[in-house]
Amino acid sequence: MTTDINARGLACPQPVLTAKQAVDQDHPARLMVRVDNEAAVENVSRFLGTRGYETTSSGQGDDFTVTAVLAQGSTAEKNGKTEPAPAVSGADSQDIQQKILVFIATDRMGFGDDELGKKLMISFVKTLGEMGDDLWRLVFVNNGVKLTITGSPVLETLQEYERQGFSILVCGTCLSHFDLLEQKQVGDTTNMLDIVTSLQLAQKVIQP
Amino acid sequence: MKGLSIPTDKHVLVGMGTADDAGVYQVSPDLALIQTVDFFTPIVDDPYDFGRIAAANALSDVYAMGGVPKTAMNLVAFPLGKMDPKVLRDILAGGLHVLEKSGTVLLGGHSIEDDELKYGLSVTGFVHPDKILANQGLRPGDDLILTKPLGTGIMNTAVKAGLASSEQIRDITELMAALNREAAAVMTGFPVTACTDVTGFGLLGHLAEMIAGTRVGVTVFSDKVPLISGVLEFAGMGMVPGGAFRNRKFRENMVSTASRVSPVLRDILFDPQTSGGLLMGCPQDHSQALLDALYRQGVADAAVIGRVTDTGPGMMAIEY
Repeated sequence: MTTDINARGLACPQPVLTAKQAVDQDHPARLMVRVDNEAAVENVSRFLGTRGYETTSSGQGDDFTVTAVLAQGSTAEKNGKTEPAPAVSGADSQDIQQKILVFIATDRMGFGDDELGKKLMISFVKTLGEMGDDLWRLVFVNNGVKLTITGSPVLETLQEYERQGFSILVCGTCLSHFDLLEQKQVGDTTNMLDIVTSLQLAQKVIQP
Repeated sequence: MKGLSIPTDKHVLVGMGTADDAGVYQVSPDLALIQTVDFFTPIVDDPYDFGRIAAANALSDVYAMGGVPKTAMNLVAFPLGKMDPKVLRDILAGGLHVLEKSGTVLLGGHSIEDDELKYGLSVTGFVHPDKILANQGLRPGDDLILTKPLGTGIMNTAVKAGLASSEQIRDITELMAALNREAAAVMTGFPVTACTDVTGFGLLGHLAEMIAGTRVGVTVFSDKVPLISGVLEFAGMGMVPGGAFRNRKFRENMVSTASRVSPVLRDILFDPQTSGGLLMGCPQDHSQALLDALYRQGVADAAVIGRVTDTGPGMMAIEY
């Protein structure tokens, strides 16, 4: 049975409280909560996470839906004594054993002819998806960050990869150096510690 | 204010051009006036506490500029006929109590009838023109010191949700009503390079203002940031106010977050604060002495929460 909740038009913390009431009363196995802003999406998802639900969200503008399914082995009665979220995000946990990190430090592939090199890099990035689930994370540093900004020939491809759940990290120092912080359109801005940690966690690193 | 012509003259030391906490106007070679105004709708149920908090909040901008508050005027919007006049009396009494503690005199005020209750103050303070502490001025190698724990926005959301205990409500009320007077007095005895108070934009929002357009960046040690007891739990269960989310969206291009920093903690760093603490930069070789002096004056939650760097100008790197 799915419990449907319309929490649109409610100011925070009401959407969370509405969801809480439903969980406390009905212990539904499946729950859909409609909200009208992204903050409520995060708050409701986070709350349901503490009660053993796995959540996904969709929507845009002022209409969002959080869909929550009670995870295997969990019961809604379990009182959410919250831990701060895990120190390592889900993508970094043990399921990365087969994961490939692609380290992109330039916007062109190889030396010789830059025109050709740029074309090859576009083709490379667009073809990366063929790795399927083995692809884990793309890291962009130095001139490579220019592939993540407005006007990049692979921007749509990268945004699609991000939607598919591949992680994209973009070096903040590099964006800042090129004065491109405002132009970045995809991925999480990151720092060297995160990059080094990613390289350490990856099972295979590919640098085109 | 974009596109409007702002009158000014040569005595304006800090004006509209920067995102500073207050304006500063020089009246003589050794005296400048600090002027600020702040008012808002009630954030706690008790009128007297609301008055105390509104006054501490308004006074804080003077402290954040390195000054001493001297005079104040009340600003009141009150729903006459709909609300017991005793409520207003209690609010003003709370405000006066804090003004008195700060050594500030009340010169007058103005009230209007309004559907929604609002209270605040305009405050004027003194500062020596050479001792003004602007938002910007951080130097590579400075330690960043914060004087109050974070999380009033999240805690107030939990209060609205009926989830906070009476003890927690009392604690945050006292925290919000606490003056930044002691912290400011200690600060002026040290070579502090820049200062602001943490309010609506959250810690990272105000830190962003301190470094935007400058040649310095900052590293924030997220595990060293003092937090109000219970805030991690409430943020973890979805009690994050929309303001924190907007603050994060607005500044996310300036932030790089280590993956070990939980989203919950990151949201707390953007949580809008009411009457938050002072955030200051101090050369490393003085910061321990500054901290010790703060502790001696009872500013018990003060902590070094980050470091100013010369890498990644305009960037905030959040470490754990």
